[in-house]
Amino acid sequence: MQYMLMIHEDESAYAGAGGEALMAETIGKHMAFAESLAKAGIAMSGNRLHPAGTATTIRWNHGEHALHDGPFAETVEELGGYYIINVADLDTAIAWAKQIPIPGKGAIEVRPVWDME
Amino acid sequence: MSGARSRLADRIAGARPRVVAALAARWRDLDLAEDAFGAACEALLLHGGEDVRDPAAWLYRAALRKAIDAKRKAGRDARIGEAAMTMGDTHTVLAMPEPISDERLRLLFVCCHPALAPDARVALALRVVCGVSTEHIARAFAVPVPTMLQRITRAKAKIAKAKIPFELPPRREWPERAASVLGALEVSFTQVYEEHSEAGQSEIADDVVRLAKMLVELLPDHAEAKGFAALVLLAGSRLRARHDDEGAMVPLSQQDPALWDSAMIEEGRVLLDEAAALADPGPYQLLAAIHLTHARRLYDGTVDARAVATLYAGLTVLRPGPIVAINHALALAELEGPVAGLAALDAVGADTLANHRPLCVARARLLERLGREREAAAMLDRALATAPPAAERLYLLKWCSRLAAQG
Repeated sequence: MQYMLMIHEDESAYAGAGGEALMAETIGKHMAFAESLAKAGIAMSGNRLHPAGTATTIRWNHGEHALHDGPFAETVEELGGYYIINVADLDTAIAWAKQIPIPGKGAIEVRPVWDME
Repeated sequence: MSGARSRLADRIAGARPRVVAALAARWRDLDLAEDAFGAACEALLLHGGEDVRDPAAWLYRAALRKAIDAKRKAGRDARIGEAAMTMGDTHTVLAMPEPISDERLRLLFVCCHPALAPDARVALALRVVCGVSTEHIARAFAVPVPTMLQRITRAKAKIAKAKIPFELPPRREWPERAASVLGALEVSFTQVYEEHSEAGQSEIADDVVRLAKMLVELLPDHAEAKGFAALVLLAGSRLRARHDDEGAMVPLSQQDPALWDSAMIEEGRVLLDEAAALADPGPYQLLAAIHLTHARRLYDGTVDARAVATLYAGLTVLRPGPIVAINHALALAELEGPVAGLAALDAVGADTLANHRPLCVARARLLERLGREREAAAMLDRALATAPPAAERLYLLKWCSRLAAQG
């Protein structure tokens, strides 16, 4: 079963003094996380996203659309990246999701991926 | 309903958790387990059932047989057919009197998984484990039946689609999972026992007690599970005393202890003693101890005010919150007088909680004791303006007219 682990974090944590060092540290932890997934033999994919300020949203309303600068929803915590992992069940997915580094405040959303077969 | 029929219904209800749990663990499908159990119950009722020595074993085998029948009539219900495919050789299943393994903890853990909303957890546990009808659950939680149905359906869909596992988690995760079950049961405790206590809720109360005792049986070393079971027993012992003939709420201090259920009190006391022996205190045990202290009025007519105040002081540390703080202040008032109690209530949060009903009612009680009837009445008016449940409203109105007569 595939699960998408969506990482929502407060981007501002990486701005200002110490921000760069924090980012380097967090990336290091992501590397370690990916490595432990690989060691456990778990199929994984994932990507880091550019900050929400680079997002463009196409908003549809019954056939009409408009472009907006910015993410779909403006919140303190923005989608900053994701993993897709293949594990047995939700408990296993949650156990892995808890190991994703989140400096400061944030949230990981765990969602089962629709099986098209 | 004839006596025999009613005894059979009791035996079916008693067998249900074990049988449904075993079926659900086998098929990893709650709906399927419920459906097959329902069909097996019908068969048992048709069969007569009174001479069946072990209804659980009978129902389990009948449910398996139902699934196999469905497989034979292939295609009629693909789900049951699929499940039956995984059951192995038909003849072995039916010929061998297979002992039913106890999978109740697995079922409770699935129904009360922390990934489900707490109010959905308790609804699901009542529905699947105890077999309470959705209509009853909806009434007990004062929500419309379609809302409750949707809550249960959504939880079941999440279990299936997000693949909440039917495997028992590793033992190190049990405390967290037990807390999740207790958290769900606590929702039912507050809603059924405390917030609205209209007619028709005592039957749900019985099922909550059943679930709490089941958890104690399955996790005998868990002190808070015992504490919680003691709590619901002690609170449940007073259900009959909580309303007067006109349906008005009767507060604990004014209840007639003769209406309390002394057997439940005793059962709660024993459980609390056992919990204490495990030397792992927690908020449920403290709450149960407070209830037990009040329950002693049944035996010697008095309440140990110092004990109540000490226990509430403990709760303000373990589980702080406005209700605990208010009750702590009222306990202090019993010990040191109404002035001290009012001062403590002021500290609870005079500004943010100005229209907090329990705070207004607590103030009214102490103001009345100080002979300040007019101020007390003003507090009651404020409490009434917060749309209290019918029974409490009636009680507050009676109190108001009593104050008006005095003033």
